[in-house]
This record gives sequence, structure tokens and C-alpha cells, in this order.
Amino acid sequence: MVNLTIDDKQVTAPKTATIYEAAKLNGINIPILCHDNKLKPFGACRMCLVEVEQMKGRQIPACTTPVTEGMIILTSTPDIVKARKMVLELLLLNHPIDCPVCDKGGDCDLQNLTYEYKVSANRFTDEKFHHEIDYNNPLIERDMNRCVLCGKCARICDEIVSFGALTFIDRGIETKIGCEFEGALNCEFCGSCVSVCPVGSLLARPFKFKSRFWALTKQKTVCGYCGTGCNLTLGVKDNKVLTTIYDDNQGFHKGQLCVRGRFGYQFINSDKRLAKPLIRRGNSLVESSWDEALELVAGRLKSGNVAALATPRLANEEIVLFKKLMELSGSKDYDHSAGYAHSALTEGFAKSLGATASPSTILDIQKSDLLLVVKTDAYETHPVVGFEINMAVKNKGVKLYILSDKRGKLARLPDAKTLLHTPGNEIALINAVAKTILDEKLAGASAGSVEGFVELEKGLSAFTPELVSAQCGLTADEIKQLARAYAAAEKPLIIFPVGLAYPGHNAEMASALANLAILTGKLGVEGSGILCMSEKNNSQGAVDMGFYPEAGAKNAIQILDGCASGAVKTLFVAGENPLVSYPDQTRVRNALEKVDFLVVSDLFLTETAAMADVVLPACSFAEKEGTFTAIDRRVQHFKPAIQKIGQSRSDFEIFSTLITLLGGRAPVSPAAVFAEIAAGVPGYESMNYATLGETGQFAKVAIKPVFNSVSLTASKAESGKMALVTGSALYHCGTLSQYGEGPMHVCPEGYLEISRTDAANMKVGNDDLLTVTSASGSAKLKARVSPRMPVGVVFSPYHFSDSSVNQFWSGAAVTWVTLAK
Amino acid sequence: MNPITPIMNGLKITLSHMFKKPITLQYPDERPKVAERFRGLHALNVSHDKAKCVACYLCPTVCPAKCITVEAGEDQNHDKFAAKYEIDMLRCIFCGYCVEACPVDAIRMTKEFELANYRREDFVYSKERLLEKK
Ligand code: SF4
Ligand code: SF4
Ligand code: SF4
Ligand code: SF4
Ligand code: SF4
Ligand code: FES
Repeated sequence: MVNLTIDDKQVTAPKTATIYEAAKLNGINIPILCHDNKLKPFGACRMCLVEVEQMKGRQIPACTTPVTEGMIILTSTPDIVKARKMVLELLLLNHPIDCPVCDKGGDCDLQNLTYEYKVSANRFTDEKFHHEIDYNNPLIERDMNRCVLCGKCARICDEIVSFGALTFIDRGIETKIGCEFEGALNCEFCGSCVSVCPVGSLLARPFKFKSRFWALTKQKTVCGYCGTGCNLTLGVKDNKVLTTIYDDNQGFHKGQLCVRGRFGYQFINSDKRLAKPLIRRGNSLVESSWDEALELVAGRLKSGNVAALATPRLANEEIVLFKKLMELSGSKDYDHSAGYAHSALTEGFAKSLGATASPSTILDIQKSDLLLVVKTDAYETHPVVGFEINMAVKNKGVKLYILSDKRGKLARLPDAKTLLHTPGNEIALINAVAKTILDEKLAGASAGSVEGFVELEKGLSAFTPELVSAQCGLTADEIKQLARAYAAAEKPLIIFPVGLAYPGHNAEMASALANLAILTGKLGVEGSGILCMSEKNNSQGAVDMGFYPEAGAKNAIQILDGCASGAVKTLFVAGENPLVSYPDQTRVRNALEKVDFLVVSDLFLTETAAMADVVLPACSFAEKEGTFTAIDRRVQHFKPAIQKIGQSRSDFEIFSTLITLLGGRAPVSPAAVFAEIAAGVPGYESMNYATLGETGQFAKVAIKPVFNSVSLTASKAESGKMALVTGSALYHCGTLSQYGEGPMHVCPEGYLEISRTDAANMKVGNDDLLTVTSASGSAKLKARVSPRMPVGVVFSPYHFSDSSVNQFWSGAAVTWVTLAK
Repeated sequence: MNPITPIMNGLKITLSHMFKKPITLQYPDERPKVAERFRGLHALNVSHDKAKCVACYLCPTVCPAKCITVEAGEDQNHDKFAAKYEIDMLRCIFCGYCVEACPVDAIRMTKEFELANYRREDFVYSKERLLEKK
């Protein structure tokens, strides 16, 4: 800490602080225009000029100058005010000043400062800018006439998003912000640049002209897409969510969002939302009253042979109620996420760590010194975690190793090492790393005493780097180097995504990775450990609430088989759309057709809901209250932002009513259920809505490490066929984002990513239709030629109802397909 | 005081009025002369055959009676215009704040004061009705 004087006030500030930060810490406001908390100091605008006595009263920028002991600073002398006014006059000189039609009006730093400094006239005159305005992009409008060249957009896109779409182009008075060769913006559309732009140069087009900033009600909430659990502020007017608002104080991510969170909110007020319950009469679904629909459902639930599938997008409280409802119906058969998407936690970690949650948190990423990311898709599934990785690698020099079957964005980070292996061989590869650690005596001192060590040694004997490398398409040295680097790192952190599109061997992978961490003793130290990133906003919560089958009960796949065989008579699907998202569409369709009675509660008439006997209109996260648990067991409370749409009800209300109809006692409110959760779920003790507050709380994870040796035979290549791997696209999450306009503008349909070599061999170009055929079926997809795919491997994301991948993908980690034009 | 005096004074005033111009107007045969700065029904100013209003939302913001509804739209040139502009005259208190707030001189108040109507809906003036008066 250093002592200094700001405006005659004695204050202290950390050594690393700039004058601006020191002042802010002590409640003194210095105006800024080009500075942002999250970005490195830049010093472009000179709005933050202050006088420092030791510098003979020279005016210096507060945002770039570090504090020193004994500094005497003045922040608003008449001279400084004069200088700031001049800065504003010069900024306004070529500025259009079209505030009445500028969407930034009311939320514009330039406007606010001009008002604050009473700059009502300009001593200078010059021509206005005449840059061409980019109206074509559906998400981001660029009007460089209003730009103040603060560089924040270009800096955030480089420093945090690590995309680098925007940059300064041209020189002198011609300088502007643009894309390379003045082309169109074709980027991740995370909207970070829009959120930091202090003026109306970069605007969110979906919100354009919809409302003024001041007319919006701002409701803080939690993103309803992925498990990162980003905090979000919704801008609401007339019961409509019109936009998301940037708040750089929110969450660990300081307001950063990805394209889904920022631009994918339109599903909330979509015209396609169901407004009334539907009951099947003959071949069609007709509108009915809630009473009638619920009586009907309750009747079926009473008659037994019930099973349930839920989406892990439901709140914790709702999942608990759903479980109660199933108990009342005498059923133990309930599951979520096709049964396998949670197996990394419920089987893998359960065996290896004695807990169904990750011991590490997202916050550990910045404190780590080596990140081992398994599957480069981690960036696509959890983009804001991806930003954290970007920042750790770029700003802190954290080493990055990636094990993946394809290259990805993370591979382009400085000094990132990608071990590109043949698809389906992760386990062998991870085991080979463990084997190297053992053989080279790099294991931690206490590893030998951990239960299962002997079995592990035995189990790993076949996984020598030499053998595995041949099978994985790597060299033994690469594997050994990774093992050495991992073992040598002080705080290595393993990160891996799981999800519906990553089937196969999640449980084994979780165990194999846990073995690595246990072997080297890199568990339980801040900054190190292992983080399993489950897919949806409350995937971790669904596991914590125990919404998966106990031993002896049916899992999701068995439930579907039960439907087909007649063992399950009534299937209650809450929010899932298995027909599109579960593997093997034929099998799912057959099950849903065969089952006697299908109840679906959903926001939309999804493909699954269209087959139902009763459809109950549920409501989105923006219309209800509850808690979500993020991937690192951050339990966060969210509150409604708008009134419920139409007659829709929250799943909480639906389950409560049904519980009452079945003769049970329904709890009064989500808060009451949360009290039960706090009392019963380990780690949630002493939590309640009040203590969760706006920031949420971490549920502690107590682990008891055990070695769980896993081995998997390598997936065999089938000659003449391509290896298809499925996964998530950056712009989508589950099937819900299909109803968000933003994601659909950027990525409207499924595609097949194919390597350049394969494309050249087959003479296919971008957007050519390819017929993909596997043993389980076929579909037509547009080709996307991409440099990131290795030869012989193709990739397809799973989110789309049209030409969905589950027509030819039956849930294997690698599907062998043939392609035809 | 003589009890008759006040009565006489009163009658004097009454009498004097008999020789003055009457204040009462024989409305509607006679029309009042409205003051220059009278604040009556609003009108939207027109320029280049279009409403001048750019839908900046300042008048609905400043309006103390919250009776102005504006919805902005984007025209072919990507310019902002008022796709909807409505004033609910039943709630308007004729303060004239909207006129003062307007940055582009798009709205004025006319001398029109005859606002009676038969149905409540008819008091909500749409953009078209506000434009009619040139
Ligand atoms: S950027 Fe700000 S100052 Fe410039 S026109 Fe827009 S609102 Fe006005
Ligand atoms: S939207 Fe995101 S990726 Fe695109 S230019 Fe802006 S910051 Fe960069
Ligand atoms: S576009 Fe906005 S953020 Fe980018 S330099 Fe210009 S003013 Fe700054
Ligand atoms: S989708 Fe995930 S990463 Fe993106 S904003 Fe929402 S929670 Fe954050
Ligand atoms: S203040 Fe003027 S320009 Fe703005 S909305 Fe009202 S009438 Fe239109
Ligand atoms: S805020 Fe310091 S120079 Fe711009």
C-alpha cells in the first residue's frame, strides 16, 4: 500500500493501482472515456487528466499513471476543467451530435460528459465525418462517424475475446475502427465491443430504436443458457425483454457475455411461446383449460408406470418438486440429459472423488499456472470460461495444453500446445500421460498411499506412451512432454466440457483425468485441480438435487426403451426435446409414439411436444424465481423480470398443483423448497435467498480421492469411412437457442465441418449439400470447409431441429460415416 | 353608513355594464379569439412531406401525465421515425413540456380547444390525426 493525497484527502491505495483506480477506491470520481476496468490502460482520450504536484503541476492521464508514495494529486482544478472541456470540444468537432436519433442517447459517456462539463458551444469548426455506416450486420451496427477512437472495442476483442475482429485502420484524421480490408464484421458476435463502446458507434441492432435506456427496467438475473452461470441484466419494457444491459460490476466475468447471453434473449418473448395448455383430441392438439389438462395428467400419474425426463434448465426448486411428484406417482425412473451427459459427475467423479461435483472453480483459472483443456470445444460450450482462459494465457502467461480431436480457437492462443489425437482416444491418451508420470517417478509423494494405487499401476501397464501414441496419431515424446509439464506445474488445472453432444465415455474420462490430478497431488490447492463443465445452466444443480436414477432404476435410455416395450405407460417430459437432442432419432421417435401417454411441459411446441397427449405451457427463467447452480457449484438466485406470458405457468406451479392433486402437500414458495434443499443437500448448508444475494455462494465440495483405473479399447477406424464427432456450436446451447434470434442470425442451420484436404478430394465447397450416412441413418447437411479439422474427421453441431444430427448419430463417441454429394 | 348606499353602488355597477360590450360569447355562433400562446390540441409539424418527429422519446419522457406513446421505426434509409405517435387527450394537462423538450421542433400546440367527443377512444389522437392540421 502507498500513501498519497488526492484532492486534499489522505488516502492509501495498492502499489499496483493507477491514479484513477486509487481515486475510485476512495470514492473520488475522475471522468474517463477510453478506460475500462477489464482492459489494460491505454490513455487515448485525455479526459482523465489530473495534476500531480511532484510533476510540477503538469497534467497527466490518471488512467495510465501508477501511484507512487507521497503523490499529491488534484483532480478538478479550473485548469483541469478547462483542459477537459477542450478535449470534449475537440471530440465533438467532427461528431455528428445526432443524439435524438442515436440509440446511445441517455447511456452515452460523451453525452453525459458534455452535459456535466457544460460544453454547449464549440470554439472550433470543421466538417463532420462521412464514413459509410454498416447497417447490414444483423447484430452489430457500426457507425464510425460517432467514434471517439477510444479503442475499447478493438482492445476487448483482442485482450479478452481474443478474436481480433476490429482494429484501427487508416491514419491521422482518417483513422477509424474497422475490420481487415474494411470488410464486413464476421466474428463471434459476443457483443463485447458493443458493451464497452462509450458512444453510439457500435450498437446492438436487435435493440435498435426499441426503447430509450432510461425507460428500461433493469432486472439482474442469471443467464439461462450454459453452465457458466454468467450474471446478466435484462432490460425490460412493457413486459418485454428488449435487451441485455452491460454492467461491468456483475459476476466473476465483470459483465462479459457470449453471443447467447448477449443476443439470445428473444426466446423469452417469442411469438412462438405456448400460451395455453393443449390436449390431444384425435390427431390434433386443441387448447384446453389448466384444470382440465392437469386433472388429466394427475389421473395418469396416479395409475402408475410413470417415468420422467427433465431438462437441467429447470431451477433447483423445480427439480426437487419434480422428484417429489415422481415419488408420489410411485416411480423411481427419472433422469436428465439423456443419462450420459451427467455421468462424468454422477459416475466418474462419484467413484474417483467421492463427490458429484468439481473440486475447482472458474476462479481458479486465473490462479493456475498450467491449464490442461480436454476438448477444444470447451470454448464453444462455455464461451465465457473461454474468455477466462484467454485472459489467463495472454495476461498471466499461464501455460496451455489442449487434448483434442480437432483444433479450435484455444489452439491459437500464444504458446498453446495442442495434442491432436484421433477421435475417441482421449482415455488412452490420458492414461498414457498418467503412465508417464508413474514411470518417470513424477507422482506426488502421497500418491502411493491413495486407495486403488496398485490397481491403477496394473491398469495403466498397457498404456505406454509408445503404444498409445501410435494409436492416437501423436508421438510418444509429445505425450511425455505433456506429462512432465503437468507434473512440474505448481498449480495445474484440468478443464473438460461434457454435454448431450459429447456422448461416449464421459464417466471414464472424468476418472482418468481425476487420476492425473490425484497422482500428482494437484487437488485441493487453490488454482489447481479439475473442473468438469456440464452443459446447461443448471446441470450441476440437477445432479446436486439427485435427479438421476438410483441403482436399479431406469436411466434415460432405459426409460425410452421402456416406453417402446410398454413397461412405461406415462412419460412426463419437462423441457427436454429428446427427439432432436438425444441420440438416435428413430429410437426416440419409436419410444414416444409407442408410449401410452406423453406429457410435455415446455415453452414451445417442440418436436417432442408435438407428439404429446398433453402439452403444458411452461415459462422461462425471466418469469420465475429460483436458483441455478453453475458448473463450479456457484448457487445463484434469480428473480422474475417480467410477468408470465399468456397463461403459462412455471414448472414450480405445475408440479405443485399436480402434487396437490395426487394428495401430497405442495410447498408454498420456491424459498420454502430452497430451505429444504439447504437442509438436505451437502454443501448447501446455511444458504438461503438472502445470503445468496446478487453474487451467489459456492456450495463446498468435500472430496475423498480414490484411484479408479479405467481402460477403453481404442475406437477402430472403419476403412473408407470418415470419423464424425458431434458437439456444440459456439452460437448455440442445447436446442433452446434456436428460438433466440441472435444465435439464429449467425448460425441458422446445422452444418458439417470438413477438412480442406477431404473437401478438395471430394471436390466440395462451402455450402454444398452433403449426404451423411451412418449405420443408423442419414441426413443432408451443408458442408463447411475448415482448416481446423484433421483429415478424415468431420464435425457437426447438434442443436438444430432441421436435419438434426441424431438422424445418423446413435450416441457413439465416434460415428463412422460416408459422405456423398 | 346609509343603508341605501351599498345597494346604489351595486346597481351602479350593474347599470354601467349595460353599456359595455358583453363578455359572454354566443358560442358556437360567436368564436373566441384565442391568445397567441394558447396551448390547445397538439399538432405534428411536417417537413419534406414527412412528420418532422424523429422519435427521440424525449416528449414521452418529459410528459408529466405520461400520455404520449411513441414507438420508433426504421425507414428504408435506416433513419428513425415515429412508427406510432399517440397522445391521450383525456390525460394531457396541456403543460406544453413536450413542445419545449422536442429537439427538432416537431410538435406544437394549436389553438384548437374543441376536444369534446362521444367515445373515450376518440380522445386518443393517433399520428395521422395529429398530422392532419397543417
Ligand atoms: S454517440 Fe452520444 S453524443 Fe454522439 S450522437 Fe450518440 S448519444 Fe449523442
Ligand atoms: S462481437 Fe465480440 S468477437 Fe465480434 S468484434 Fe465485437 S468483441 Fe470482437
Ligand atoms: S467504436 Fe466505440 S469502442 Fe470502438 S474506438 Fe470507437 S468509440 Fe471506442
Ligand atoms: S451462454 Fe453461458 S457463457 Fe454465454 S453468457 Fe450465458 S452463461 Fe455465460
Ligand atoms: S420530442 Fe419531438 S422528436 Fe422527440 S419524440 Fe417527441 S415529437 Fe418526436
Ligand atoms: S480515460 Fe484516461 S486517457 Fe482516456
